[in-house]
Amino acid sequence: MTQDEHKEGIKGMANPSRYGIERVAYWLMRLSGLGLLAYFVAHIYETSNILRGQVGWDEFLELTQTTEGHLFLAIVIAMCVFHTVNGIRVMLGHGGVGVGKPARPDYPYDPASQNYRHKIGIYSAIVLAAIAMMYGLAVMFGE
Amino acid sequence: MRESTIMKIHYGTALAAVALVAVHILMRLTMGFAESLEYETVLANYKFIPYAVMLELILILLSIHGFNGLRVILLELKQGQAYEKAVSYGCLAAMFGLIAYGSRTIIMTNMGMT
Repeated sequence: MTQDEHKEGIKGMANPSRYGIERVAYWLMRLSGLGLLAYFVAHIYETSNILRGQVGWDEFLELTQTTEGHLFLAIVIAMCVFHTVNGIRVMLGHGGVGVGKPARPDYPYDPASQNYRHKIGIYSAIVLAAIAMMYGLAVMFGE
Repeated sequence: MRESTIMKIHYGTALAAVALVAVHILMRLTMGFAESLEYETVLANYKFIPYAVMLELILILLSIHGFNGLRVILLELKQGQAYEKAVSYGCLAAMFGLIAYGSRTIIMTNMGMT
C-alpha cells in the first residue's frame, strides 16, 4: 500500500459513510457517551441546587422545565437507550457472542464478526432509542 | 492496572448502572413528572436512606464508567507516554472530584442541611 492510499488519515478512518452501519454505530456510541457524560456532570450540578433551599430549587427548575429543556431531555433519553443497547451488543461481541466461528479468510474477505446479528443489534438500538424518545416526550408534554 | 481488568470494571459498572438508573427513572414515573420534581418530593427522596444509598451508588458507578469512557476515547485519538499519563490521571482526578461534589449534595440533603 502506498503513502497516497493513506492520505486521508484520521478523516478517512472517521468517515461514517464509507464503512457501513458498524462505523455509524462506532460514532454514535462515542458521541452518545460524551453527551451522556456532559449531561451527568450537569445533572450533578443541577441537583446540588437543592442545598439552596426551596427558592433555589424552584429557580433552577424554571430554567430546566421548559419546552427546550424537555426537548433536550428527550435527546438525552435517546442517547441513553442507544448507548445501553449498543453497549450490550459490544459487550456480547467482546465475549465472542454472535461473531461467528473462526475460519480461513477467503475472497471477498467479509469479516465474520460483521454479520446480520450485529447489524440487527445496531438497528434495534436506533429504533429503541427513537421509541424511548417518543415515550419520554409523551410523558413530559402529556401533563 | 491491566487494560483487560479496566475493561471488565467498565462493563461491570455499566451493567450495574443500567439496573439502578432504571429504578431512578421509574421513581419519576410513580407520579406525575412535574410533581416528582417538586422540592418536597425530591427532599423526601434524599431523606429516604435506601434511595440515598442508591443515588450514591449510581454516582460512583457512572463516574467510573463515564470518565473511563472519556479516557478510552482520548487514548484512541493520540498516544504517547506523557499524554497517556496526563489523560489517565486527569480523568481519575475529574472522577474523584465529581464523586466528592455529588456525595456532598446527597449527604448534606439527607442530614437536613438545606
